Amino acid sequence: MNPLIFTTILMTVLLGTMIVMMSSHWLMIWIGFEMNLLAIIPILMKKYNPRTMEASTKYFLTQATASMLLMMAIIINLMHSGQWTITKVFNPTASIIMTSALAMKLGLTPFHFWVPEVTQGISLTSGLILLTWQKLAPMSILYQISPSINLNILLTMAVLSILVGGWGGLNQTQLRKIMAYSSIAHMGWMTAVLAYNPTLTMLNMLIYIMMTLTMFMLFIHSSSTTTLSLSHTWNKTPLTTTLILITLLSMGGLPPLSGFMPKWMIIQELTKNNSIILPTLMAIMALLNLYFYMRLTYSTSLTMFPSTNNMKMKWQFETKRITFLPPLIVMSSLLLPLTPMLSILD
Amino acid sequence: MMTYIVFILSVIFVVSFVGFSSKPSPIYGGLVLIVSGGVGCGIIMSFGGSFLGLMVFLIYLGGMLVVFGYTTAMATEQYPEVWVSNTTVMGVFLLGLLMEVMLVLYVLKSEEVGVVFKFSGVGDWAIYDTGDSGVFSEEIMGVAALYSYGAWVVIVTGWSLLVGVLVILEVTRGD
Repeated sequence: MNPLIFTTILMTVLLGTMIVMMSSHWLMIWIGFEMNLLAIIPILMKKYNPRTMEASTKYFLTQATASMLLMMAIIINLMHSGQWTITKVFNPTASIIMTSALAMKLGLTPFHFWVPEVTQGISLTSGLILLTWQKLAPMSILYQISPSINLNILLTMAVLSILVGGWGGLNQTQLRKIMAYSSIAHMGWMTAVLAYNPTLTMLNMLIYIMMTLTMFMLFIHSSSTTTLSLSHTWNKTPLTTTLILITLLSMGGLPPLSGFMPKWMIIQELTKNNSIILPTLMAIMALLNLYFYMRLTYSTSLTMFPSTNNMKMKWQFETKRITFLPPLIVMSSLLLPLTPMLSILD
Repeated sequence: MMTYIVFILSVIFVVSFVGFSSKPSPIYGGLVLIVSGGVGCGIIMSFGGSFLGLMVFLIYLGGMLVVFGYTTAMATEQYPEVWVSNTTVMGVFLLGLLMEVMLVLYVLKSEEVGVVFKFSGVGDWAIYDTGDSGVFSEEIMGVAALYSYGAWVVIVTGWSLLVGVLVILEVTRGD
């Protein structure tokens, strides 16, 4: 793609999300979502093969339907409250429709079916943008309408997402699909605590973005999209095998790594609100996630997977230079001791 | 009949929406879209918004739909599908028609319709009427306000249109 056009389109994606996050008028928020969707389509289609075109079409159809539902919820809200300002949504019907629309945009169950298929059909960098940046805009709207969301629907969607994200990822060997199911499960954790303490949703989003960014950067570095090609990293760059181990275990939510911090805080907040069965179930279902991360670490870091190479290390002609990888790795694994700093968020 | 003109026009509006959503070939969909655009214009004008109705005719029907019609005419097949040629299309159209007829009967029988929101006649919509404040029509003032208070909206929509053209060129460029 022409670099100037590519930069313009990428800046429009950023501008769309910024408009969504900074607007006080519902119509501008809708415009921001549409601008975001329109501009990300050619980014998803950077390589011209039928898989990317199919994935872009699926993404466009689901997100356009979600935008239409959002517009309907906005208009019902306008009818009942007579104003366009972003506050909590006053009408329960509009609130339910808006929650469903934003859940479709995020990829929460039962609207999760597009996430693995779209993520699998596109390149690793596009998948990175899809799973991290595109989650910011809907989550910011959910944060703003969080006082008025129907709790039953929200918690049902959250628990089902954690379940689907765990079980769906079990049978996968393609790395992009594994990351997609991991995204579904993390979105479930984020929305579970939305009604109780939305700050923790933002914390979880931040740490999730850092960890997913790190994982995708490591995949891009070794140009691997399947478990098999990832398992040959011990032969290519042995250092990244350790980093993959640490980051994957952090994504699974194991202490003392930073992925434990959001899960710990969320479970604490849920138990403060007298729900005990729910966080127990959520923690147990997170084990499913941990299982397929462990399987990846087993084949990648913990064993020297058989390869056709006879030597200790492959001859490297040039290494991809990945921006910000060391700081990302540090942030996605060592942030747990900083948990007391969360008290400044009050 | 003049008192019920909005009701009649909105029924025709919904029926034409059903007509093109039951997916005949694009050229026939465009035909029904013209009808729905004209009828929508009539609804807006009967509330006093003459400028907006004119915009619908000029820009929507006379600009966008004409371009759509020309591109469809270039890409159409020899025997395009009509509503009666395909069983599925006819079934969906009849289903939509049936639902609209039942809704119309429901509205005519009872005073108030309470499906998603309470609706009891066109009087409910009178608060959105473009009023006349003496000399100026409020509707034209709204358009003028778009370019003064709403400058940010103009910038955003202009940028979206530019990026839309770039995106479409990028997507259809091929390798």
